[in-house]
Amino acid sequence: MIKIAIKDLKLFMSDKRALILTFIVPIALISLFALAFGGQTSTESRPARLIIADEDKTDQSKRVIAELDSAEEFDVTVVTLEEAEGLVKKGDESSVLVLHAGLKDSIEAGSTAPIELKYDESKSAEIGILKGALIGKLIGIVSIKAMEKKTLRDFNTKNPQLDSVSRKEITAEISKNFSGGESKNMQDSMLKSTPLVAEAETSPGLVQAVSGTAIMMLLFSVVGMGASLLDEKQEGTLKKLLYSPLSPNNILFGKMLSSNLISIAQLTVMFLFAWLVFGLDITLNIPGLILMIIATAFACSSFGVFLASFAKSRQQVQGLSTLIILIMSAVGGSMIPLFLMPLWMQKISVVSVNYWGIQGFYDIFWRMLPVSDPTFLTRVCILFLIGMVLNTVAAQLFKKNVLNLA
Amino acid sequence: MISVSNLKKTYGSTQALKGVSFNIKAGEFFGLLGPNGAGKTTTISIMSTIVDADEGSVTIAGFDLKKNPLECKKTIGVVPQEIALYNELSAYDNLMFWGSLYNVPKSELIKRIDTTLTLFGLFDRRKDKVKTYSGGMKRRINIASALLHNPKILFMDEPTVGVDPQSRNLIFEVIDKLHKEGMTMVYTTHYMQEAERLCDRIGIIDNGMIITQGSLDELKTSSKIKETIVVTFQSVSDETFAKLVDGSRDLKKIDNEIHFYTNNVKSDLSKIILKCGELGLDVLNIDIQKVNLETIFLNLTGKQLRD
Repeated sequence: MIKIAIKDLKLFMSDKRALILTFIVPIALISLFALAFGGQTSTESRPARLIIADEDKTDQSKRVIAELDSAEEFDVTVVTLEEAEGLVKKGDESSVLVLHAGLKDSIEAGSTAPIELKYDESKSAEIGILKGALIGKLIGIVSIKAMEKKTLRDFNTKNPQLDSVSRKEITAEISKNFSGGESKNMQDSMLKSTPLVAEAETSPGLVQAVSGTAIMMLLFSVVGMGASLLDEKQEGTLKKLLYSPLSPNNILFGKMLSSNLISIAQLTVMFLFAWLVFGLDITLNIPGLILMIIATAFACSSFGVFLASFAKSRQQVQGLSTLIILIMSAVGGSMIPLFLMPLWMQKISVVSVNYWGIQGFYDIFWRMLPVSDPTFLTRVCILFLIGMVLNTVAAQLFKKNVLNLA
Repeated sequence: MISVSNLKKTYGSTQALKGVSFNIKAGEFFGLLGPNGAGKTTTISIMSTIVDADEGSVTIAGFDLKKNPLECKKTIGVVPQEIALYNELSAYDNLMFWGSLYNVPKSELIKRIDTTLTLFGLFDRRKDKVKTYSGGMKRRINIASALLHNPKILFMDEPTVGVDPQSRNLIFEVIDKLHKEGMTMVYTTHYMQEAERLCDRIGIIDNGMIITQGSLDELKTSSKIKETIVVTFQSVSDETFAKLVDGSRDLKKIDNEIHFYTNNVKSDLSKIILKCGELGLDVLNIDIQKVNLETIFLNLTGKQLRD
């Protein structure tokens, strides 16, 4: 068994194409997805560009602009309305926030502030994110001020008989409540937020990119390794192996062993690359990472051997596996993060190897679960179980379809 | 050394072996001669333990094949018909791998690899990848890989197919040497000359049956045909051929030749010339051939080895 595995490893190392497909292509894809999912070397988020056209030009509008500019979410540039509309129409900017004339009066009157976001409809996804951030901020800046004014006006209307000293004291108290720390407390009290998962330094996009892509590419690699037994049959070396004192099981397990070792090497290289280039901290939980790499490699290589055991030639395996791996990777969360999928799809994702592997890596890098955590260990066990079941079925199918030389 | 008794094997609706039996003594060179599809490879595959017979038994070096397949495997070396090597590995690495499967100690294996490579004239190319080798060189490594565990018996299934004359002669020299050192050989071929040159005894197989076996001399002696008169015509129509068949002679039409099988060449030659004259046939050439394996095979089966 070990002799077969060593021979396969030698063959693998001498095959430049296999080496490129196993290591270089996944690294290229991981880099691409890591950049796309926001896995930069720095984990700080980039502020959104915000173009503002001030048509009001009052102290109130200047206060709004100053507050937005001081927020770390925005990188504010003030231009004229005409200039801003030109930039959006040319596609240089996605939107412009217009503070219309009358903003100050509206705030003073406690009525709706004339603020408008003009945008390029083709960039609706980007605008959606910007709107979300802006609404929260503008409520804090504009609405609180408008509420203060409305409260004071209502108070004065309902209490005309109050003496001037008392009125002054109460008005000052109301204004105090709407300003500074008090208004912040009011905003906070509107939505109570409690973090359930500790904030990690690692970007979830990076974890998604590395684990999702690595597992998908691993599946493609292992199918090739499984199919090497079909190559052996085609080239006559399988028959020659069967002439020797090796048992068919020895031959099959030797293949599985080499496939496992190469899979472990592939995943290790992927995570080392992500560590060196994208700053994914693999030192967070080294035992957990090693365990998850071994479990994922075992499940994936078993899956590759299982797929190969159905077919009679490499061509058949490749046709069948491409379809199955792409579907499984899409469903299992390799291509799209699971939380973006519809609920029914999230439910069926558990049937894929990708799901368990990706969730396991999330446990390590994002959820920061220790190696002894039952949730993490359950995922490891499921991956090993998948591997064992697939290996058992593959062994039977191989004996029937491949090792039968009659 | 080898006893094969009443082997039968059916693939689907095709009966590949219909009761093959033969015995091979220790140190003997036994040739299994037959056309493609006769059952040679099936017989070798059963004897090599990779195909199960439906019926019959095989004993190798005293071990029953069904009861002790592992002992049988250790005793034999098999040179398959196809070149079964890893092209991306060097000749040395290939031999190291194939030899290691028989648990030969590494130091001993290294010595044997060097000796075998020298024997086959490939020591200087040992580090080159097999994919850079010519067909003949690959064939030599293919044979070498079956010798590293010093088998008592060597099965060779058409080992010289597609080989250049230089490699063929080298292979024959090595095979001769191994045979002289006492190795028992089982050699399948459809090349009559190879069987005549190498084999002590020959079994002629056709349609899944051994139709005759013995030494070349025994086969020639037992043959009722002693010579073949080969008459070449400009052309031979079926009508002309029918007129030549008079019931008393054994003859066969092959292209524009008619082969007359005879045990009395003097008498039959004059009769044939007279008959051709009577029919007004345009004879281009007349050749008289001594009996050989081809003639014996043709006479026994009614077809040529290359058919």
